[in-house]
Amino acid sequence: MKSVILTLSKKLQSGEITSVQLTEQYISAIEKSNPQLNAYVHLTFDEARANAQAADKMIKDGRATALTGIPFTLKDNIATDGLLTTCCSKILQGFKPYYDATVWSKLKAQGAVLLGKTNMDEFAMGSTSETSVYGAPLNPVDNTRVTGGSSGGGAAAVCANLAAYALGSDTGGSIRQPASFCGVVGFKPTYGAVSRYGLLAYGSSLDQIGPMTQSVTDAAIVYDAIRGEDKADGTSCKTPDGKTVLKGDINGLKIGVAEEYFDGISPEIKSAIDNMISAYEKGGAQVVKVSIPALKSALPVYYIIACAEASSNLGRYDGIRYGFRASNYTSVDDMITKTRTEGFGKEVKKRIMLGTYVLSSGYFDAYYKKACLLRKTVESQMAEAFEKCDVLFAPTAPNTAFKRGYSGGNAVETYLSDVCTVPVNIAGLPAISIPCGADKYGLPIGMQIIGKKFDDALVLDTAYFAELNNLSKTAEVEGGVKL
Amino acid sequence: MSVSKQEIKTLARLSRLEFSDEEVEKFAPEFEEIIDFANRINEQVAGDTGTIREVVTRTVKWEDLRDDEVKESLPNEKITSNVQAENGYFPVRRVVK
Repeated sequence: MKSVILTLSKKLQSGEITSVQLTEQYISAIEKSNPQLNAYVHLTFDEARANAQAADKMIKDGRATALTGIPFTLKDNIATDGLLTTCCSKILQGFKPYYDATVWSKLKAQGAVLLGKTNMDEFAMGSTSETSVYGAPLNPVDNTRVTGGSSGGGAAAVCANLAAYALGSDTGGSIRQPASFCGVVGFKPTYGAVSRYGLLAYGSSLDQIGPMTQSVTDAAIVYDAIRGEDKADGTSCKTPDGKTVLKGDINGLKIGVAEEYFDGISPEIKSAIDNMISAYEKGGAQVVKVSIPALKSALPVYYIIACAEASSNLGRYDGIRYGFRASNYTSVDDMITKTRTEGFGKEVKKRIMLGTYVLSSGYFDAYYKKACLLRKTVESQMAEAFEKCDVLFAPTAPNTAFKRGYSGGNAVETYLSDVCTVPVNIAGLPAISIPCGADKYGLPIGMQIIGKKFDDALVLDTAYFAELNNLSKTAEVEGGVKL
Repeated sequence: MSVSKQEIKTLARLSRLEFSDEEVEKFAPEFEEIIDFANRINEQVAGDTGTIREVVTRTVKWEDLRDDEVKESLPNEKITSNVQAENGYFPVRRVVK
């Protein structure tokens, strides 16, 4: 793994290249590859060119940081003032927010260059990015496969070198699983470490913004730039001062392995993770067996809670305040119903219906309340596991990238692909997915490193050991901007 | 577990969504499948709830609340820039007969 950000930053600050020139390179690469890959759904090249000019001035004035002048992308559910933000849904067709998400304000202040908004499952509901109203992005490693989801466009853009890094959002694995499918790094910080202000809500108690990058070093740089308490997000928290220090120091580190994470995992993935664990053991870490029986219930708990929150969060799309409104209606109520019926896709409707069902009287105790109780159990059992170990190692997904068209099949079968990622969201923990070899088809395998709440730095440093010792390699594909 | 077609229609009404009879026909088995999936929590919950006394929600502490200060709000023109608006109002079809 190579730090794209540090490599480019060095070139920019030494004057070898200007941000304007670098941005034009990315723009040409996107114009060439994106019609096929469909990673970007809205291109913001005017914005990018203006950002690049401002960045070049910052560099000239000696005010540059590592991210100054470096082109990146935002998922299409992160608000950008005056620039299309549609959650890849018809209901937000043409919608331009009137304020910036905190993460975008923070990056803009550092001189970041926004190339565009990337493809995703509609309202982040899916594991393949195929529910996007703009059609699915293709996996750059193998175009017949899905990128994973929901932040599939961001993963594809980073993998194909069409952006130096991407910001995605992770409600049940939406950063980590596509990162794993596309052979890049995806980091979901502790719940509250990064402000959600300006992130169009799906499941508010689970959603978290985080970076998708080509290296652990890059993930740490981007994480440092976007984290911290924000008055505009009541659930955000203070994070430690100073930069995240990466040493790759794992001497005496206790790695927890919970067998529940390996239930139903393909043997190839299991053996790839076992190999990685052995390499860490050789590096001085200790392996500890732990048990987290409640992981078995994490998936239905996740779907109940996420859908309940979604049914409420998506109530705001009424045809009055946002982009799309149905044209033929007879009353205000009819207008709202028709707008939602025409504006939402099938998967979104299904989840709103499930959410409404579990929150309706008569079912609230049986589903929503029970799910909240079990959420607490998952949280406390994971906390207990962390009394015996410092980090947990687990697969990111039970499988590698599926063939396209998969999500057209059995809905529940698609949901099962989130089994390894959702426990982290339920418990609000930080986790990173790093590339961990490939299967027999050459498709990338991902491994998760999970930490205690606010142990984000330890998670990143543990992952950095793999980067430092060449144990983890990002997928290499043709095209894009070459360093 | 079976969910009646009438129940699906009621849920749709509560969700402000519309399904034709034909769509309900197609949706019912998919929805049942998801409910069955959600029911898996019942296999797990026995024996576990005894130790948990209350539903956990993420609470905000009083000292975390900001002062209620008047701040400049977003300008009307910006907020209505995405929608059909006239003089700062959202026009809809006439509702009063």
